[in-house]
Amino acid sequence: MLAFFIRSLEAAMIFTFAGLGELVDQRSGILNVGLEGIMLFGATLGFIAAQETESYLIGFLVGIGIGALLGLLHGFFSITLGVDQVVSGMGVWIFGFGMTTYIGSSHTGPLGMERLPTWFGISPFFFLSVVLVVLVWFVLNRTGWGLNIRSVGEQPSVAEVSGLKVARIRYLCVIFGGMMAGFAGAVYGLYYNPVWNYNFLMGWGFISLALVFFSMWNPYLLLGGAVLFGLLWQVSLNPQMFFPGLASRYIWRMVPFAMTILVLILISSKWFRSRWGATTPEALGKPYHKE
Amino acid sequence: MFKARKQEGIELHGDIWKHIQPGEVVLEARGITKRYPGGVLANDHIDFKIRAGEIHAILGENGAGKTTLMSILFGLLQPDEGEIYVRGLPVRFRSPEDAIKMGIGMVHQHRKLVPAHTVMENILLGHPRSRGVIDVKTAEEEVVAIAERYGFKIDPRARVWQLTEGEKQVVEIVKALYRGAKILILDEPTSALTPVETERLLESIETMTQDALGVVPFITHKLPMVLAISDEVTILRRGRVVDRLPTAEATEQILAERMVGRPVIFTLQKPPHEPGQPVLQVEGLSARNNKGVLALKNVSFTVREGEILGIAGVAGNGQHELAETLFGLRPAESGRVQFLGQDVTHAPILDRWKMGMGYTPAERTEVGSIGDFSLVENVAMNYYFDERYNRAGFLDYGGLRQLTEQIIEEFDVATPGPDVKIQTLSGGNLQKVIMGRVLSREPKLVIANLPAQGLDVGATEFVQRKLLEARARDAAVILISEDLDEILALSDWIAPMYEGEIVKLLPAAAAKKEVVGAMIAGVYKENEP
Amino acid sequence: MSLAGYRIRVQRRASVPGWKAALFSVLAILFGLILFSLIFIQAKQNPLEVYRQIFRYAFFNEYGLGLTINRFIFLAFASYAFIIPFRAGLWNIGMPGQLYLGALAAFGVVYAFGGKSGQVSIASGPLIVLMVVAAMVAGALVGGIAGFLRGKWNVNEIVVTMMLNFILFYLVSFMIKDGGPFMNLGGRGESFELPDAARAPLIAGYPYTLVLVFLFMIALQVLFARMSLGYQIRAFGQSPPAARYAGIKPFRISVLVFLLGGALAGLAGYHYFAAVPGVYKIARTYGYFGDLSFYGLICGLISLGNPIAALFMALLFGGLSIGGRYAQGKLHLGFGVDFALMGVLMISLVAFQFFYHYQITFSRVPKSRALAD
Repeated sequence: MLAFFIRSLEAAMIFTFAGLGELVDQRSGILNVGLEGIMLFGATLGFIAAQETESYLIGFLVGIGIGALLGLLHGFFSITLGVDQVVSGMGVWIFGFGMTTYIGSSHTGPLGMERLPTWFGISPFFFLSVVLVVLVWFVLNRTGWGLNIRSVGEQPSVAEVSGLKVARIRYLCVIFGGMMAGFAGAVYGLYYNPVWNYNFLMGWGFISLALVFFSMWNPYLLLGGAVLFGLLWQVSLNPQMFFPGLASRYIWRMVPFAMTILVLILISSKWFRSRWGATTPEALGKPYHKE
Repeated sequence: MFKARKQEGIELHGDIWKHIQPGEVVLEARGITKRYPGGVLANDHIDFKIRAGEIHAILGENGAGKTTLMSILFGLLQPDEGEIYVRGLPVRFRSPEDAIKMGIGMVHQHRKLVPAHTVMENILLGHPRSRGVIDVKTAEEEVVAIAERYGFKIDPRARVWQLTEGEKQVVEIVKALYRGAKILILDEPTSALTPVETERLLESIETMTQDALGVVPFITHKLPMVLAISDEVTILRRGRVVDRLPTAEATEQILAERMVGRPVIFTLQKPPHEPGQPVLQVEGLSARNNKGVLALKNVSFTVREGEILGIAGVAGNGQHELAETLFGLRPAESGRVQFLGQDVTHAPILDRWKMGMGYTPAERTEVGSIGDFSLVENVAMNYYFDERYNRAGFLDYGGLRQLTEQIIEEFDVATPGPDVKIQTLSGGNLQKVIMGRVLSREPKLVIANLPAQGLDVGATEFVQRKLLEARARDAAVILISEDLDEILALSDWIAPMYEGEIVKLLPAAAAKKEVVGAMIAGVYKENEP
Repeated sequence: MSLAGYRIRVQRRASVPGWKAALFSVLAILFGLILFSLIFIQAKQNPLEVYRQIFRYAFFNEYGLGLTINRFIFLAFASYAFIIPFRAGLWNIGMPGQLYLGALAAFGVVYAFGGKSGQVSIASGPLIVLMVVAAMVAGALVGGIAGFLRGKWNVNEIVVTMMLNFILFYLVSFMIKDGGPFMNLGGRGESFELPDAARAPLIAGYPYTLVLVFLFMIALQVLFARMSLGYQIRAFGQSPPAARYAGIKPFRISVLVFLLGGALAGLAGYHYFAAVPGVYKIARTYGYFGDLSFYGLICGLISLGNPIAALFMALLFGGLSIGGRYAQGKLHLGFGVDFALMGVLMISLVAFQFFYHYQITFSRVPKSRALAD
């Protein structure tokens, strides 16, 4: 039972890492629906780098690095070139999906390294994710950087006439978002599920994206949502723990995905939105051109 | 020019404004020229000087080049030719940040504030105090002190979306002053203010000039305002300075003539017309705005055939919600709307079009038209369901093309043809297409939401004439406008709105401008004269 | 920016003429192929030679051409499944899920008539019609979920369709593996084989679904260019608030485009598992075909939603993916060359979106100004 909870929290930390980056990204007005692609890249290249060098550190650094590069790429497309952000994000996802399938195929199988150490049975990354949640909340709500990020995401033209450099702030945010997603992918591939397989991320990037909508751009709610999802995921992977003998394992595998849809419906409802006073960053997804 | 760039910079900012003398030239523009792609000369060698302690009005119609000039002074645009001098130093603004550092502050007509943020956050945005962790308490004290110095009231913790237009303007002014602005550029400072707010603003501006600040209001057509506040006027027409004179020597008539370039005669003829049967009956209508706040409260009125009802009011007093609720774009919270005797309170929008209602929205590019569609396809927005052009689900694009050509002809639309994308049209021509499209259905009711807002004189007159023509053929017209003169000139009945309510329905013949002005400002009392 | 006496300006453009848009699409593909040749160079192959082999196998080899045509049909349906919602401004990335259920439904019809045993109690003609209808209805249902949720509560359709992909992926597993109802009696973790009566008839060696592709091309072309409904879909795609003002019902459009799109994805599923000669079963590797349907997204985007242009793209990419597979085997490249190609093409396509919105102009800078700058 304890193992079950720990596993849930470890899943939650991965959702949180990816979601936090995307949250900051979206707060600055840039939507990146290609989270899955960046995480796949982070997981695959991190996996390969760690395996080749036998160094976890290098694996994580490669994951973060490729994430930063892909974030930069998405920023270049959507900020500088003015490409529709959904088109660009889809591009990043398909690129990640296609390339990692090819690049990783010769590394199919387990990582073959000693497992990373834990604290009190749980990965230290979990504590890191909690710290980052608090930190991101503080920066967004109590500092000038946060004010700048939020303003750029609400009304870029206002930020511009207030003397801010909109493009620069957005670039920093997408790069941060990419690094977090790449890191989340690396944690997945090097710790959570260190067995490379074709498309082994199983849509976790899309779930993280849904969690950002769920969080209503509040890091604490993001963490809460991530823990909830981690639990749901584990329940569906281990149905025999709770509902022995009920239905086939394939049916259970559907549950977390169905839950994602249900939660998404709930949070999209007017009732929920007005209750929590949720407001989307107004400029989210809209390219900004200087007048 | 190399020298110029070296001299500007942050290090100068500290001392550039020291030891300033009243009457000294603080800002000078020489030969400012800006050419847009396509060869339009928006600014053609514009010169002017602003002295400390002076209010220098810049007057010009839409399209005279005011916006371009303002953007250049604030670093949003770079001029093709010409120089700007601040206290004699040549400067070059590559971004608003550069302009702000040189002490230039701007108060925009279309408020440049983040509605979701608090007043304080808006003021701090871009301010040096907002680096790192923000010390909100100190900043709040400083801001309140500045506001009080100039006689403004300000609540730093309120959210901007909750404020009235007048309060938002105060936030913008305080923000500029807190940033250390010494020269304040005001874009149409009174266009969204009630008379009372206007008066207060003028007093505050007086105080500012005592602090040796230069104040530069840019104004379109509020000539009395120019006469009341400014010391000197520069008049722009078609990108050029056509005149500059001390306000003491100016009269309304002179200013109007110079600005338009021909003697102005206010000629709109409203022929007498007998109203007929009731077309639209509204009883106790209420609706919420986008934030869920009740913005339209218990509104009742009737509009008859051949009658124009003018809805007057300052922006944000429920007129927009009223228009949208009448047309079904916004759900009614309570109340009833009857159109030709039928209850349409909850009728789908498509049914309203088919029954003979028509609406021209204020948001012409976002709602009223589809930028990437051709003129023909835009005209189809009102005809795709019409049996004359829709045969068994197939659209008669040939017929629609002919119809579009008719509209272009009748409404005098300047366009290369009916197949160009509508986003290539100017604002006036776009509005003509939208009006033409809606009016070509010969609707029994036309709701015109800010039909002439932002149009030049010619297009404004044209649009107003078309509304009168609709009235002449016995349509009921609801005209929503923030321009009292327009309301008074066109309406048969006037409904001044304040905070979501109609203050009182007035027959136009008996309505005085001062009374309506007081009503929309919320200072009207029943028993006062 | 100035360069060698010329000023380079980047300007937003209001619109792109059709021929230019087509040119950019072709350039994007060429750029993608050039970019992709890095993979061959890395594998120490001459890219030109590899491409020559890919194209020769895909289009000029009798066996390869057969594979290409079948894949073309599949991608064409997948592209249309993407295009219809795309014209309404909505993103259908649920082609995999829709085609899985489409295939299951088609097999379900056969199963219902006792086809698992190899014999059916119904004539071939009606059976095939029923299979096609069932596949389309099933695909439409899956799509319709996303459309309904989008229209009713504004639920993000990208996440919903993606989640549905996983759900239906496991539903297929449930049906064909571990003793599921459709499991092959031999227990190989794949579905039963279709009896002869349920196999799609061939026309000149190709399944009749090829004809369906062209019928749908005409239908979609007419829909978007001539019909009121197509107009409403396009208007909604361009500007939802303007469409709503014009009386177009957002909910109706959302549901409709996803129903139509899903139905076409269902056909794609029917085609690959019930019409391609030599398949006639839901293979263990069905997930591969699901992922392959994402090529439909690229075809749809690169053809700017034009149903005719999309067919050329489907043919090209069908050939490239078949040829790529062939080259992969022959040159001992890693698994997934066809997916890598998909990724590279996509990223190149995104980069070229720039040209739809901006133009670059060169103009001579006057000497004096060049100095001042």
